[in-house]
Amino acid sequence: MNDDSYIYILTALLPLAACMVVVQVNPYHALVIRGILGAIAALVYSVFGAADVALTEALMGTMLAITLYAVAVRSSLVMRLGVLEEEKVESDGDVLKVELTVESPRDFNSLMKDFRRIFNKYYLRIEVVPFTTPQALHRALMEKEIHASCVPVLDSDAAGEAETKHYQTVTRIQRLYDIMQPEISSINTSLDYKFASGSGEDSQ
Amino acid sequence: MNLLLIAMIAAMLIPMYQALKDDDIWQKMLALGSISSKAGIMTLFISVLRDDWMIGAVGAIILTVGNAGLMLLAHIIKRMDDL
Repeated sequence: MNDDSYIYILTALLPLAACMVVVQVNPYHALVIRGILGAIAALVYSVFGAADVALTEALMGTMLAITLYAVAVRSSLVMRLGVLEEEKVESDGDVLKVELTVESPRDFNSLMKDFRRIFNKYYLRIEVVPFTTPQALHRALMEKEIHASCVPVLDSDAAGEAETKHYQTVTRIQRLYDIMQPEISSINTSLDYKFASGSGEDSQ
Repeated sequence: MNLLLIAMIAAMLIPMYQALKDDDIWQKMLALGSISSKAGIMTLFISVLRDDWMIGAVGAIILTVGNAGLMLLAHIIKRMDDL
């Protein structure tokens, strides 16, 4: 073949895909586009005759790196939220059934929906960690096991309407507090920042 | 043959534009699968054109790895939606 003009067009795809990776904001989207870049890079390398480079790009650069980065992003972009669970003991004939339920699921679910809406802008995932006693919840917060705790507050004013319950959220991370603070008027919780002393360090 | 290759490159631009435009992660995964398959087929085509077995082997591996990587990534993203 004497006319190799298609090689120029093929090579132009590589910087195009690289620019697509650079402009992505969401880390997961960037990972998928990185896969596209890897496929195009392997194509260009093999057309230029560098079969070993193309092979390494396809195996290491595309498959292994993408998978490992996806695992890393998935486990680091998470907020662990501690909640209280109510221990309900039901006697059903001879059998004693112990059930763990989150208090008033409807209020709690709407609060979770609000939290997800706020943190979705920062691509944070929320992981709910249940605790049985307030002491265990507080200790977990102080020992940096969870990032924030969310407990219902008994409101004496709202005695008539038992449906609406107020929540109190305590976080030990300044950045989470800053994210939640502007939105606090629209959601059904009060917000507190508590400095957790200790040697362990994990900042988001 | 040259025109055919340029047409293939133009077809490759369609899923790239789709991946850039659409905000849904699964649409991007579809674009990734489409592009990696197209890259593999193009490598095989060029290998036949130049009568070069080395490029053909790389094309086959791009096709395989593209599919395997897509499956792994899809599983991780699906687990993220479940939690």
